[in-house]
Amino acid sequence: MSDYEFVDHSHDVVVIGAGGAGLRSTFGLAQAGFTTACITKVFPTRSHTVAAQGGISAALGNMGVDDWRWHMYDTVKGSDWLGDQDAIEYMCKEAPDAVIELEHYGVPFSRTEQGLIYQRPFGGMTTHFGEGIAQRTCAAADRTGHAILHTLYQQSLKHDAEFYIEYFAIDLIMDDTGACRGVVALDLATGRLHRFRAHQVILATGGYGRAYFSCTSAHTCTGDGNAMVLRAGLPLQDMEFVQFHPTGIYGAGCLITEGVRGEGGYLTNGDGERFMERYAPNAKDLASRDVVSRSMTIEIREGRGVGRDKDHIHLHLEHLGPEVIEERLPGIAESARIFAGVDVTRSPIPVLPTVHYNMGGIPTNYLGEVVTLKDGDPESAVPGLMAVGEAACVSVHGANRLGSNSLLDLVVFGRAAAKHCAATMQPGARHAPLSSDAGQNSVDRLDRLRNARGSRPTSEIRLEMQKLMQNHAAVFRTGETLEEGAQLLRKTYASFDDVAVSDRSLVWNTDLVETLELENLLQNAVATIESAANRKESRGAHAREDYPERDDENWMKHTLCWVGGPGTVCFDYRPVHRETLTDEVEAIPPKARVY
Amino acid sequence: MAQFRLPPNSRIRKGRHFAAPEGAGNVRRFVIYRYDPDSGENPRMDTYDVNMDGCGPMVLDVLIKIKNEIDPTLTFRRSCREGICGSCAMNIDGGNTLACTKAADSISGDVSIYPLPHMSVVKDLVPDLTNFYAQYASIRPWLQARTPPPPDRERLQSKEEQELIDEPAACILCACCSTSCPSYWWNSDRYLGPAALLAAYRWLVDSRDEAKGERLDELEDPFRLYRCHTIMNCTNTCPKGLNPARAIAETKKMLLERRH
Amino acid sequence: MSLRSPLGKVLGSGSAKEGADHWWAQRLTAIALVLLGGWFLLALMQIGDFGYEAVRNWIGRPVTSILLLLLSATLAYHSLLGVQVVIEDYVHGPLKIVSLVLSKFAHAAVAATAAFAVLKIAFGIA
Repeated sequence: MSDYEFVDHSHDVVVIGAGGAGLRSTFGLAQAGFTTACITKVFPTRSHTVAAQGGISAALGNMGVDDWRWHMYDTVKGSDWLGDQDAIEYMCKEAPDAVIELEHYGVPFSRTEQGLIYQRPFGGMTTHFGEGIAQRTCAAADRTGHAILHTLYQQSLKHDAEFYIEYFAIDLIMDDTGACRGVVALDLATGRLHRFRAHQVILATGGYGRAYFSCTSAHTCTGDGNAMVLRAGLPLQDMEFVQFHPTGIYGAGCLITEGVRGEGGYLTNGDGERFMERYAPNAKDLASRDVVSRSMTIEIREGRGVGRDKDHIHLHLEHLGPEVIEERLPGIAESARIFAGVDVTRSPIPVLPTVHYNMGGIPTNYLGEVVTLKDGDPESAVPGLMAVGEAACVSVHGANRLGSNSLLDLVVFGRAAAKHCAATMQPGARHAPLSSDAGQNSVDRLDRLRNARGSRPTSEIRLEMQKLMQNHAAVFRTGETLEEGAQLLRKTYASFDDVAVSDRSLVWNTDLVETLELENLLQNAVATIESAANRKESRGAHAREDYPERDDENWMKHTLCWVGGPGTVCFDYRPVHRETLTDEVEAIPPKARVY
Repeated sequence: MAQFRLPPNSRIRKGRHFAAPEGAGNVRRFVIYRYDPDSGENPRMDTYDVNMDGCGPMVLDVLIKIKNEIDPTLTFRRSCREGICGSCAMNIDGGNTLACTKAADSISGDVSIYPLPHMSVVKDLVPDLTNFYAQYASIRPWLQARTPPPPDRERLQSKEEQELIDEPAACILCACCSTSCPSYWWNSDRYLGPAALLAAYRWLVDSRDEAKGERLDELEDPFRLYRCHTIMNCTNTCPKGLNPARAIAETKKMLLERRH
Repeated sequence: MSLRSPLGKVLGSGSAKEGADHWWAQRLTAIALVLLGGWFLLALMQIGDFGYEAVRNWIGRPVTSILLLLLSATLAYHSLLGVQVVIEDYVHGPLKIVSLVLSKFAHAAVAATAAFAVLKIAFGIA
């Protein structure tokens, strides 16, 4: 295979992905003295964290009383009791410290009159265990993700972290004992393969929203890390839980932050009715995202949508007045103008529930270590492999993530991963030699696709998959649609053997990269739809019309899904951690989830 | 000396023409710069007649349609498609902007698309931004303060103080401004360019930062800062509506004020 | 080809910690030129007789001499600053320093010549 010679590198730790979680790990490790390589397929500030708008939750209590225990209660309830309570406790307790740290790094947070970080209400965030409405979401206008991502990149520059920018990671290097030893990546600028050897690989590759036709996610959200884990023979967890954001712009799919409703915006149907009052009498428009998305879908389905085809819903913020919009929601005003042609000071924004976030992903514990079910032990850590951010399923979001908990997830667990490395590893430890065929799996994969001369263009297969997922694994699901979707998807997946790559060049071959990404997406999609068909209950974002109730007796457990060969799957389960991490808080027992 | 002709290997040839399928009603013509470093050939302009029916409204939607349905070898950067990541900056119809927020409808006649001007081209619409990123890193774009922050809470900042950094901190590093600046074209090896200077200004006016003096020292240079000749292309072209020209003028004022 | 790091290239030899004076002087001389130039145009319009003797007499008047000295010095200095920027913008390589030196010499020569001419007339030496 003389076509592909490796450029070899050795580092203490390799981080794959430079979004919020990847960057937070990267400079945390650099700070702790580890030689760290951060491999990223886009320049760090282009990562999709940049598009997060509304804010980052933390019980700072800047705008009214707050307590991290209330935050924990909301998160557990939001997760529909599928979240691991030890991890949720850790995240909510660490939140104030993590956000204060961000401020100290220079994040340009909006401010209160007293000069404190400004906090706004967000869906599902309450005080006194569900009694009042909390103002817990720390915001930098409506571009909080941008503010945080840029600041984290700045800190990485400050700590002289080492980046490999526009490198596409192909596959993990796993050894015979099942430990991860590194990763192989393609340098887009030269087309050369680089083999990175590391004591620890941290996957921070984000979600796979692009498995769906309409999503708020960037084109680059293709679940690369998830798929690498599957190909390494490890399972993904809770992949059936896909969050639909209630307010994606109708048509374009671009995100309109929940912060709009936090600032007082509301939804109306075709009759001009504020229908959320019927579905969530207390929280109304600030109910949890799964609840609002389902309510909107029911309104549309029952003929009360707006527009010529009655196929969407209106989001109003005209009543907030130009000053509030200018100060707190300037980006929304811009997006609505560009993508919906709407002046938000005069007219409502047409919106539709749109795929937004993947609760599922690579199973990890609260330290960031990837875990799997091995020899009957559901907490068996995979040596040398960690995962953080949206790619990981810690699981703090369970069956449904609360808005503004994702930015928090990124920084808390990005930091936790760096801390865990610092506590368990020595900088500069000697590397054992790799086996002679280490990385061959990546070479084979690359070579196969680079020379793919089939009859189906990448875009054709991708579109088929996206439409299928959109139609068969939507807000509401039935066994029938899921089974049918799974069957169709198997066919689509099989047709990937017949994929055609037209660009044969080495330098910046995006045709090839999109094909590698498509294979990743297909594996994520298979895991998603099969897991959805497998889970016979309704919980959080997974709403089965044939099983409308939550079934704690049989299904309060994490799905583990392995994807083999051409889309074949097998399942097993991990128990939900119902116990807390410490005795500072009591475990929250399951009960009916009403807003 | 300044060069007034493109070097021979940069001269642009006429390229291929991809006609619209028979019966396509709503056809628009896109003329796009192509350069394939593997081929060793000069750049060329390829012409694509695109059926706009069923195509999204933005230029990025058109580029993706071309890549998906007409020519998968067309190469460009893209990610968020909503104007916040800054990947798809390019020269469209003579102006630098983001392909994802530029509506094809807003352009009359044939649409010409080039990479950002005066940068080395890696391939097609992908410019080499290495120097641009290094310039950003060179201004030390992070908070510098000797006063330790309070251990358990945020540094205080008034609303008015925050408003000063709100706009300059919204820069997405797309490089539209710097690559629209003639002064940057001639002297990008030593002039920092509007984007890096806007980033520097963001820290000069941050009430929490204590390195204003050192920052100004580093900027006061005939090339780094003073190559700005107030041409204003930067402000004119910024797809986020920011005002780097004003930030540079304010920086020059600060440098003056500290000597009088 | 240089293998120096991108950041190394940008940081280069560091900041010259200079430029504010040049920038300020250019603006200051520009303001002065607006005033002096305005006076010069007005004065020319009022001369009426452009004969050799009349103009000599006009130049020889103390106020005119002083203002003309200021005008020529300011003009030369402003031009020097401006031409320096143009050279720095467009001329690269070894020619740059040569051009800058020649420009300085030329401006000094022009300024000296103008001053000599005005003074000669003012003091009625010829």
